[in-house]
Amino acid sequence: MGGKVTCTLGEVKNRADLIVYWGGNPAECHPRHFTKYTLTQKGKFVPKGRKDRTMILVDIRETPSAKAADIFLQVRPSKDFEVLTTLRALIKGQRVSAETVAETGLTLEQLQDFAERMKKARFGVLFFGMGLSMTRGKHMNSAALLSLAAELNAFTKFVAMPMRGHGNVTGGDVVMRWTTGYPFGVNLSRGYPRFNPGEFSTVDLLLRGDNDAALILGADPGATMPQPAIDHLARIPTIVLDPKVTHTSRLARVHITTAATGISAPGTVYRMDEIPLPLRPALKSPYPTDEDVVRRIYKAVAKKPAWFPGTK
Amino acid sequence: MELSITKNATCTFCGCVCDDIELHADGERIVETKRACILGEAWFKNHTAERLYPDALIDGQPATLDDAVEAAAEYLYNAHLPLVYGLSNVTCEAQREAVALAELIGGVVDSHTSL
Amino acid sequence: MLRITGGKVYDPANNINGQIKDICISDGRIVSEVEGGRTIDATGMIVFPGGVDVHTHVAGAALNFARAMIPEDHRRNAPYVRGERHRGGIGGATPTTYVTGYLYAGMGWTTVNEAAVPILSARHTHEELRDTPIVDKSCCVLLANNEILLDLLEAGETERARHVAAWQIWAAKAYGVKAVNPGGVAAWKWGKDAKGLYEPVPGYNKVTPAKIIAALASIVDDLGLPHPLHLHCNNLGAPGNYNTTLETMKVLEGKRAHLAHLQYHAYGGDDWFTMRSKSAEVADYFNAHPNLTTDAGAVLFGNTVTITADGPWQHLLYKLTGRKWGNLDVENETGCGIVPYVYKEKNLVNAVQWAVGLELLLLINDPWRVFLTTDHPNGAAFWRYPEIIQLLMDVNFRREQLKKLAPKALKRILLPELDRQYTLSEIAVITSAGPARALGLAHKGHLGIGADADVAIFNDSKDIARMFAYPRYVIKGGEVVIEEGEIRKAVEGRGYVVRPVYDEKIEDYIRPLFQQYYTMSFDNYPVELERLENPDIRSC
Repeated sequence: MGGKVTCTLGEVKNRADLIVYWGGNPAECHPRHFTKYTLTQKGKFVPKGRKDRTMILVDIRETPSAKAADIFLQVRPSKDFEVLTTLRALIKGQRVSAETVAETGLTLEQLQDFAERMKKARFGVLFFGMGLSMTRGKHMNSAALLSLAAELNAFTKFVAMPMRGHGNVTGGDVVMRWTTGYPFGVNLSRGYPRFNPGEFSTVDLLLRGDNDAALILGADPGATMPQPAIDHLARIPTIVLDPKVTHTSRLARVHITTAATGISAPGTVYRMDEIPLPLRPALKSPYPTDEDVVRRIYKAVAKKPAWFPGTK
Repeated sequence: MELSITKNATCTFCGCVCDDIELHADGERIVETKRACILGEAWFKNHTAERLYPDALIDGQPATLDDAVEAAAEYLYNAHLPLVYGLSNVTCEAQREAVALAELIGGVVDSHTSL
Repeated sequence: MLRITGGKVYDPANNINGQIKDICISDGRIVSEVEGGRTIDATGMIVFPGGVDVHTHVAGAALNFARAMIPEDHRRNAPYVRGERHRGGIGGATPTTYVTGYLYAGMGWTTVNEAAVPILSARHTHEELRDTPIVDKSCCVLLANNEILLDLLEAGETERARHVAAWQIWAAKAYGVKAVNPGGVAAWKWGKDAKGLYEPVPGYNKVTPAKIIAALASIVDDLGLPHPLHLHCNNLGAPGNYNTTLETMKVLEGKRAHLAHLQYHAYGGDDWFTMRSKSAEVADYFNAHPNLTTDAGAVLFGNTVTITADGPWQHLLYKLTGRKWGNLDVENETGCGIVPYVYKEKNLVNAVQWAVGLELLLLINDPWRVFLTTDHPNGAAFWRYPEIIQLLMDVNFRREQLKKLAPKALKRILLPELDRQYTLSEIAVITSAGPARALGLAHKGHLGIGADADVAIFNDSKDIARMFAYPRYVIKGGEVVIEEGEIRKAVEGRGYVVRPVYDEKIEDYIRPLFQQYYTMSFDNYPVELERLENPDIRSC
């Protein structure tokens, strides 16, 4: 299946009586998720807040988030897909063998209880983190979880939401969708957007050595990418826009210092549930904003003889 | 010096993007971050309005913004398949400009999402 | 300065019906005379006021969600390659914002009304509209499932509800008010729907869909908004729903309203197997009630994606198709559902839908009250409008198309019996003059002195679909934007907004509720006027 059955965070705050976190550790990575948006908030239809809600945490290790959970399910590494598939079978009343389930590190009883709780919830939500989407199975795991959430709507109200990472990564998806039709990894070399993850995604491009120049902004791939990808960034002319010296700027030919987003640069950012929020900078930076610098580079390129697909 | 107070400021550190932060600043740095979590507080206090770095560096040497913009434009213009990457910790307005630039230079535009 | 000379002018608002007449333009407006400047020789061509789309989904969270869901559709359609004067992009069912502007302008349409905007993500909608070039834009804010309003209606506080609604319209920087499946989307938050107009909405005792409809229509009239309540009725798409539609029209007696995409609301039968057209019943009632306008929401066969704030309907459609399903509930306000869909000629339900859209356009006798739309992208992408114009203008072509349907379908529809053919003047009404009037945009939809110089010039050809798909010239705000099939200038459009009057103290009422039920700061909720590229505040 494709698609996603989701909502904004306020729906969870006002309605959710069953909250599942899967492969995420909000206590450490999204510290106010429990308190501002989900678990402990009193909501319109869950007036007693925490007392009205049940929280289940699924992860491969007992993180600090487990303390907040009513039920912690420790799944064996790389077995998330199996657990999700079993749950999808259980909610539909299909038969599942206890031996197969045992391989996941959980018992059939645990999963039956989990499935029943989901079906009986008035409003359930599955939050999933990188522990699900970036481990063995990757997007297949996400798809299985999204399918589970969609299928639960045959019984009750259920939604799913990814625990998006830092900064305005959500805004990047949103902006690329309206400007190019695709959420990331968009190749514009033919003058129109093309999308093929695995071919046009950055790590793959850099590992193959396809790029012969790079502009990096709002990220430090020199600290996060596989070494061969970083090596290629060091080989080619790399330009970095960043408020600070970073791992990437140390290997760059050009570094331009910019104002820090939200601290001294104004604009818009998107929350993980794709709600746009304005920034209110508290400081005045001596440096220009990223927006301003990219526009200046655009103008400098635009002054050169125009290039159109098929002419180079 | 009197502190300036910014209400309903938005924290861009994690995906929660909390927009109820109250920031107290002395003109150069943020000294107090009401309602921010431990990560948000560190984020806000870690960036100042000081001039700690040159405007730009070209091959490790301090350069003017104008020269750096020209150098960047030259590299990107001459490349066959330039990459525009990152877009996490920048505004939507900057992302929008970055997509326009990627289109102009016939490159690839990508974000953290592809990792 | 610009003169268009020698063309046959169709300007129904000014009773001009194919006369050869010069149109003069200066400073973006139609004027009586110009000296010098460029002259366009429109001999052998017809001259229309620029098209106005009263109901489309071109920007915002829901459409942008759909874009990500259908990469296969992006690949199926011809891409838009960047050029000297325009950006590259994607066409298809959910064109990228720039391409949306180019495609609308490229077929002679110069004003669009985005029909569904949650307040909570209105900032997003306006960001996309700013990136939609050439056309002028307005949008309608979704209020019929707004829980602050519904709670006030439950408490019988209609006066306060009016102030809240006015505040919300301005907060969203909207132009009009949209009601989608009143009460039904709020019910969907618990996985339910609101099907009976006089049954309480789940979670309420006194609030019924009828009460919401009547209250919002009155609020819009009392506030004096230029566009009446823009209503998506309950029970969209369901067999037998024509009764709901008739009941809804009764609720609206004495009030203005625009009924969106009427095609989806004019079905008889008890289930999918017995579904049939009830366009005649709906059109008869509608014809007798001049307080109402509508748009067709016509369907064309082929691939598209359905997007609506009607969450429960989309869950049903997902279950029927087994295809992808997107759903996005927006806290305290609304929701949206997204399901890719293929309308097939041999499918009985789809055949009925296709026929009903055309039947309503042919059976509603006043073209000033029924407008050409496909509820883009729900019935078909907007760039397929010329195909519908051909179906309306050419009864023989229509009969050819009817042959493609399953014989069984012909017994379920009225279309084979209808031989009305639209005239060029009537086409100018349903594509421009009528929707401009319904939107209350007095300077749009006509070519009289002082009107905005938005003009489409077409070849006068027998090939109707082709001539309307490829105008020879399109002029927007006095600038030639399309010429010989090329974009000559991608001008910026304007954004129409209204600022209805409300008691400023109403914020003291909304603020604590907002802090209790929402998850963002109240002060960050309203969209700043500066977010709009060229805001144009219309008086109420």
